[in-house]
Amino acid sequence: MSDDLDRIVHDTLAALRQVQSPEALASLRREILGRRGRLAGLMKTLPSLDASRRAALGARLNEARTRLEAAIAAREQELAAVASVRRLDAEWIDVTLPGRRGPLGRRHILRRTLDEVERIFMGLGFEVVEGPEVETEEFNFERLNMPRDHPARDTQDTFYLTDDLLLRTQSTAVDVRVMIGRTPPMRFVTSGRCYRRDTVDATHMPVFHQVDGFMVGEGITFADLKGVLATFAREMFGAGTRTRFQPSYFPFTEPSAELAVTFADRWLELGGCGMFHPRVLEMAGIDPERYTAFAFGLGVDRPAMVRYGIPDIRLFWENDLRMLDQF
Amino acid sequence: MRVLLSWLQEYVDITDPPEVLAEQLPMLGLGVETWERGDGDVIFDLEIASNRPDLLSLIGIARELAAWRRRQVRLPVDTLEETDPPCHERGAVEIVDPVLCPRYVAHVISDVTVGPSPPEIASRLEAAGIRPINNVVDATNYAMLEWGHPLHAFDLETLADHRIVVRPAAPGEALVTLDGIQRSLDPAMLLIADVRRPVALAGIMGGAETEIHPFTRTVLLEAASFAPWSVRRTSRRLGLRTEASARFERGIDPEGVLRAARRCARLIARAAGGCVLRGAIDAYPAPAPRPTITLRLARIPRVLGVRVPSDDVVAILSRLGVETSRDGEILRAIPPVGRRDLEREEDVIEEVARHFGYDRIPEAMPVEAMHQGRRPPRLEAESAARDALIRSGLTEAMTVSLIHPRLLERLDLDADDPWRQAVPLANPLTAEHTHLRPCLLPGVLEAARVNVNRRRQAVHLFEMGTIFRASAGGVEEQRALAVAMRGRWLIGDWNASDDGQEVLFYHLKGVLEVLVGELRAGSLSVEAGGPRWLHPARAGRLFIDGTALGVAGELHPAVAERFELPGRTYVAELDLDELLRRAVLQPRFAGLPRFPAVRRDVAVVAPRSLPHAAVEAALRESVGPLLESVELFDVYMGPPLEEGMRNLAYTLTLRAPDRTLTGEEVEEIIRRVHATLPERLPVTIRT
Repeated sequence: MSDDLDRIVHDTLAALRQVQSPEALASLRREILGRRGRLAGLMKTLPSLDASRRAALGARLNEARTRLEAAIAAREQELAAVASVRRLDAEWIDVTLPGRRGPLGRRHILRRTLDEVERIFMGLGFEVVEGPEVETEEFNFERLNMPRDHPARDTQDTFYLTDDLLLRTQSTAVDVRVMIGRTPPMRFVTSGRCYRRDTVDATHMPVFHQVDGFMVGEGITFADLKGVLATFAREMFGAGTRTRFQPSYFPFTEPSAELAVTFADRWLELGGCGMFHPRVLEMAGIDPERYTAFAFGLGVDRPAMVRYGIPDIRLFWENDLRMLDQF
Repeated sequence: MRVLLSWLQEYVDITDPPEVLAEQLPMLGLGVETWERGDGDVIFDLEIASNRPDLLSLIGIARELAAWRRRQVRLPVDTLEETDPPCHERGAVEIVDPVLCPRYVAHVISDVTVGPSPPEIASRLEAAGIRPINNVVDATNYAMLEWGHPLHAFDLETLADHRIVVRPAAPGEALVTLDGIQRSLDPAMLLIADVRRPVALAGIMGGAETEIHPFTRTVLLEAASFAPWSVRRTSRRLGLRTEASARFERGIDPEGVLRAARRCARLIARAAGGCVLRGAIDAYPAPAPRPTITLRLARIPRVLGVRVPSDDVVAILSRLGVETSRDGEILRAIPPVGRRDLEREEDVIEEVARHFGYDRIPEAMPVEAMHQGRRPPRLEAESAARDALIRSGLTEAMTVSLIHPRLLERLDLDADDPWRQAVPLANPLTAEHTHLRPCLLPGVLEAARVNVNRRRQAVHLFEMGTIFRASAGGVEEQRALAVAMRGRWLIGDWNASDDGQEVLFYHLKGVLEVLVGELRAGSLSVEAGGPRWLHPARAGRLFIDGTALGVAGELHPAVAERFELPGRTYVAELDLDELLRRAVLQPRFAGLPRFPAVRRDVAVVAPRSLPHAAVEAALRESVGPLLESVELFDVYMGPPLEEGMRNLAYTLTLRAPDRTLTGEEVEEIIRRVHATLPERLPVTIRT
C-alpha cells in the first residue's frame, strides 16, 4: 500500500510539471485530491488495516495530501503568472504613434503684449481705464493743444466720420477725458486701437494699438518720467535693458522725448513721452502751477514685431493659425 | 531736410566725424533719417519737428551745433551795394489783409543777366535736393536753405503796373503755376497779384507768366510772411506741397523777412550781375512785438527733476541766441528772430533740458502712496471671458475694424438688419476699408477662410472687439463676441473616421455654456430660429435670463460658399456688454453636500419635434426642489420606436440639503414624474 502512495506522489509531482493550463491543473487536482481521487481511494482502504498500520498509513496519507496541495498551489501560481504576462503581452501598443491632443486655445499675440504692458503699469500703481475709439475733434486734437490747422496734424492723417467725429489717432485723447473732473494725484494707463490714414504695407496698417499713460501730482518731474519708463522697460525687456530719451516735439508735451530701449543690441523705438503742456492741464481744469504731469504713448504693434521677429505687420491681422499657434 | 556737411561748416566750425554727428544730432532733437558719404562730402537727411521752421535752414542747424560745441555761428554776409533810383520808384506793394500777410518786403534788382548758376551753387542745391534753374531762381533757393525763409523772384516787367497786391482770390479766378498746371482758385486762398491778375499762390508757388526767363532784365524779389494756417489750407486744398509751403506752414517770423531778402538780393547781384536798387519796399503794417518770457529758475527743477546751475541756464540760452537778463530768481528771456516756437516758460525749460542733455537728467521714482493699480470690472470680466473661451480650446483672432460693405453682403442680410447700418468713413483711403464694422462675424469668417485656403481645415476662432452703430448722438460703440468653429476637434486623431470627429453645433453650444457658466452670468437658453445667414433648421437665438444675447448656429451653406468655406461651419455672435454686465467674478463658496444623492434614470418616448428643453423643464417642475441636476445621457431614434419618435433618457440626481432621502420619498418622486410627465407633454414613459 505504501508503494501505491509513493507512486501517487511521484506521478503527481511529475504530472504537475507537465501541466500548462489552469483547466488541466484542476482536473489533476480532482484526479488525485478529489473526493473520488486516488488519495481518497487509499483512504477507503484504511479501515481494513490493523490499528498500527492504519495509524502509520493515515499519517503518511495526510502528509502526502499536504505536500501535494502545496505543490499544486505553487504550480497554480506559476501558471497564473505566465498567463498574466501573456495577457498583458497581447495588449501591446505602439508607444511611438502620435499623441492625441485636445484643442488648445491662446491669446492673440498682440492681446498678450497689451496685457503684459498693462500688468507692468498696474504694478507701478497705474489704474487701467478705457476710452472711445470714435472721438471728437475737441478731444483728439484741440484739448491736446493741436488747434485746427496745426501742422502737427499732418503727421496724424485722420479718418473722419463727420466734420466733428473722427477715429482717434492716439489714445492720449483718453488721458484728457480722465483728467477732467478728477483731482490729482492720479495715474492712469489705457490701451486700445488707434487709426491713421496709412497705406497698408509691411510696417503700416490703418489700425494699430497704443498704450497711453500719465501721472499728475504736485512733484511730478521729467526725472520721474524717466524712472517710470526705465522701470517699465526693464520689466518688459529684461533687467539689463537700457533706455534712451531723445528730444522730440509733440504739441501736448513740453519738454517732449522719444523713448527707445536696447533690444538685441539695437535701439528699439517704443514711442513718445514728455511733461504735459501746461495748456493741456489748464484745458482739463488742472492748475499747472500747482501740479505737473508726465505722459507717454507707446506703440505696441511695431515693437512686438521686433521683439518676436515678425517681418510683416499684416501677419498680426491675418490670423493664420500657423502664426498664432507659435505664441 | 538734406544737409551738406561742407556747406553747414561755412556757418559753424564743426570738426566732428559724421558718425559722431549722426549720434549727437538726435540728442539735440534733430532726427537723422539717413546719412551718406559722397564726393568727399557727407549728406545728412534730417527729420525736423513741425514746430521748428528755423531748423529747415542751415543757420538754424548750425546754431544748434554751435550751442552744443560752445562755438559761435558765422552769419552770411548781407551787405548790399545799392544804386539809384530807389526801389519804390520802380515798384509798389499793397497788402489787403495784414492778418494773412503780416509783412511783404520787395527788392528790385535791375540789369541782371539770366544764365546758369556757378557750379558750386548748382551742386550745393542739387545735394540739397533742389533742381538748379537759373542764377536768379537758384539764388532764392540758396538763400532759403541758408535762412529757412522762402523767397520768390518775379520778372518785374511782366507785373502789370509793377505793383504787387496781396489779396484773397476772387471767385472763379485761375492761375497757371510754375509747374504748368492750371489751378482753380477760391476766395479762401491767398494770392500775390498785380493790378490785373494773380501772379503767385502766396507761400506756395509762383505763376508761370511772371517767372524769370532767359531775357529777364529786372527782378522783383519777394520776401514775405504769411499766416501759416492759410498756406496750409491752400496747399492741402490744391494737393500742392513745396519747399516754400513746408516752411510757411510752420510759421515764418516776420522779423526775419528783411534779413533774408537782403541776403538773397546780394546773392542775385553776385550771380547774375545787376544792381540792387536802393532801399527795400517794406510793407509791415503791424510789426510783431518780440515776446519776453519770464523764466522762474525754481521752475526748472520742478519740471525736470534736476538742478541746472543758473549760470549754465544763461549760457545755454545765450548760445541759442536767446537774450537773457537776470532779476534775482527770475530770468527774462527774449528769443531770437525765427524762434516763434518759444512762447512760454515751459518752452524755454525745454531748451535748457535739450542742451543740458536729457541723458543727464536722473531716473527717479515718483513719491506717491504705493498701491497696486486695478482694472475696471468690465475689463476684468472681459479677461475672464477670454480665458474661458481659450480654456475651451478656441484661439483668439484680431481683425481690422475697418471693412467694406461687400463683406456684409455675403451674409445676405435682411433689409432691416441693423448690421446694414455700417458707419461710413468720410475720407476712406482704400477701397477695402470704407466703413466701421457693425459686427465681428465677417472678419472672423475671413480669418477662417484664410486658414482653409492654406489647407488648415480645423479652425476654432473667436474675436472680442468693438463694433460701431450709427446712433442719434453720433456713433455708438459696443463690445461683441464672435465665434467660428469648423473641422476636427482633436488633433493627431489618427484612427478616427473623418465625419465622427468634425465639430457639431453642440460643440459650439458647449463652448457658450462654459462661457456663461464660468462668468456665473445667469442661465443660458436657446430658442430655435435665427437670421437668414444661418442654416434655417440649425439656428438658435440665445437668451440669458430671458434677455436676448445673440445667435448661434450653422452657417447657411450659401453664405459659407460665399466665404469659400466648404463643409459645415458653426458660428455665433453675441452682445458681449450684455453678457459681461452679468458676470460674477468673486463667487462665494456654496458648501459641499453633507448628505448622499440618489440617482434615478427616466426615459421618455417623445415626438422628434418636441425640444429637449421642454422635456427638461417639465422634469424639473415635476420633481421639485429636491432635484439637484438633470442630465441627458441618451438620444435614440429607430426601431423599435415608431417613425418620428425618439427616446430621451435622463439621469435625475436627487438630494436633500438636510437629510438622507428615504427610499420611499424617492419612489414617490419617481411615481409623480411618471404620472405627470405624460399629462403635460405628448410623451410616454419607458419603464
